[in-house]
Amino acid sequence: MRTVRIITVLLALFFALGLAAYMTIWMLVPRRDESSSIFTRTMNDRRDKEILFAVLIAVLTLFIAFITIGVGPPGVSLWFLALSCLEAVMVWRGASEDERENLRQVSSNLSKTRVGRTDGWRAVALRTGLGVIFVIWGISLMSRVSGEHGAAAYVLAGASALVLGLFALFAPWWIRSIQDLSMERRARVRAQDRADMAAHVHDSVMQTLSLIQRSANDPVEVTRLARQQERDLRSWLANPETFGAHSSTARTLSQAILDVESEIEDNYDISVDAIMVGDIPLDDATLALVAACREAALNAAKWSGARDVAIYVEVEAKQVSLFVRDQGSGFDPLAVAPDRQGIAGSIIERMRRHGGTATVTSSIGAGTEVELRLPRASSST
Amino acid sequence: MTSERVPTVFLVDDHALIRAGLRAELSGHVNVIGEADEVAAAIEIILERSPDVVLLDVHMPDGGGLAVLRAVNKEQPGVKFLALSVSDAAEDVIAVVRAGARGYVTKNIEGPELVEAIVRTAAGDAVFSRRLAGFVLDAFTNRSQDGLSAPSLDPELDQLTPREIEVLRLIARGYSYRDIAEQLSIAIKTVESHVSAVLRKLQLSNRYQLTNWATERHLL
Repeated sequence: MRTVRIITVLLALFFALGLAAYMTIWMLVPRRDESSSIFTRTMNDRRDKEILFAVLIAVLTLFIAFITIGVGPPGVSLWFLALSCLEAVMVWRGASEDERENLRQVSSNLSKTRVGRTDGWRAVALRTGLGVIFVIWGISLMSRVSGEHGAAAYVLAGASALVLGLFALFAPWWIRSIQDLSMERRARVRAQDRADMAAHVHDSVMQTLSLIQRSANDPVEVTRLARQQERDLRSWLANPETFGAHSSTARTLSQAILDVESEIEDNYDISVDAIMVGDIPLDDATLALVAACREAALNAAKWSGARDVAIYVEVEAKQVSLFVRDQGSGFDPLAVAPDRQGIAGSIIERMRRHGGTATVTSSIGAGTEVELRLPRASSST
Repeated sequence: MTSERVPTVFLVDDHALIRAGLRAELSGHVNVIGEADEVAAAIEIILERSPDVVLLDVHMPDGGGLAVLRAVNKEQPGVKFLALSVSDAAEDVIAVVRAGARGYVTKNIEGPELVEAIVRTAAGDAVFSRRLAGFVLDAFTNRSQDGLSAPSLDPELDQLTPREIEVLRLIARGYSYRDIAEQLSIAIKTVESHVSAVLRKLQLSNRYQLTNWATERHLL
């Protein structure tokens, strides 16, 4: 079967002969285990005959139009092409059910040429037809150019017709690919938003919930925590952009770090000592750095058992380095369950999203040091 | 190694509670030979008893630790000072260190660390707290945002070697001298000599930016 089709395609290159021959055979030879051929079935149906007649007229009109436009009398290949078209219509009308199913599958692959779901086949046919006509017209106009005067006008008209035709043919595909691109971009932004949101929820709500669990038999403490968390969430919902670390008044990195310091000292029995070398204004990335630092210091306050935690921030020419170190109980980083969000999500992943890195060094009994590095945007001084 | 002799220590602090606390922390490790709660008395007794190390509170009425330091240094340069301060008063600390103190520790320092710092001071080495290390890094590597770059008379004193910067950075991160030695694979003695070199540069440097920095930080 395949060889037959290949031969057909090759023959089609010669005056569309192969195409016409293939269609004729398709039409006249009945399928295996079918009694009648497509041709006889079409001829027996009155409606099908009418449609065939209409198409015949349409093809002839097209021919005449071509001759008047100046393509010249249709060559042999054009006649064969017209014949194939006619036969194609017959095949479509007269095809049996399962053959029709086959054709539908083939045509569904063609549906990429449609812009949206709403476009019917009629619209596609119209557009494709117009496109083909404009392309042929354009080519014929341009091919008339010889040494005569004013030939440029033809070239111009031909070229514009050609462009118009190509546009009609390929615009849907082009528009579709642009739409896909912007859709993908939107999806990515949405995913980033979701990750930021998840990190924030973990930092605030999850942390508070774990605190509430630990002080479950102290109703006063539970109430205090819940109220504080509520206030926190409200301010974040009202203004998520400026919600940095605890307070929205911080303008520079060192102020934000000092806010973290006082926040943690207020809420936990641990002393936080932050040392800053240099300072830069806050932006999205440095806010993320502050949030990761806060998370690291919170972990130290909650789990290490150390009396104090040391934060060291250094603004270097190319990057900002931040170290959070405690000399507490430490932990085995490899033994942390993969679903724990604290280090993975709120520190490492958050830094990675903003182009930075985070390294957690810890071993049981030897304390913990979290090292955060964030490359500086080249524009800031 | 230095001599086995336990260093003699003199306490200067206007808060009786802190002096009592320090005595309790230090007893058995060093020999506390006296204490004073005001500047004039401190100068007089220190000159009389000549301790190895004076543990000096930076914040005191009548001129503070700085006045004691200047007066004693003039008469007995051999007495070494270790400044003791709450951590947020950078400009006072810098002034004291610039005036000749061998180092500076914060009041929340743990007992054993304080003993170690005193022994180190007695041996002539420098004692850097995290804050002091951060300050030196900030002032000497010109990262301050104010853009103030003071003219210097001796560029050599205004430059830190890469190794010194490394050591200071580790101090600022909260590493002990022992941790630093381990981290950098060098002897503790080498760490001490790096820190002493930095202290000398800090004390001899002509940069007035140093005081500027401290004042600015205090105003924040």
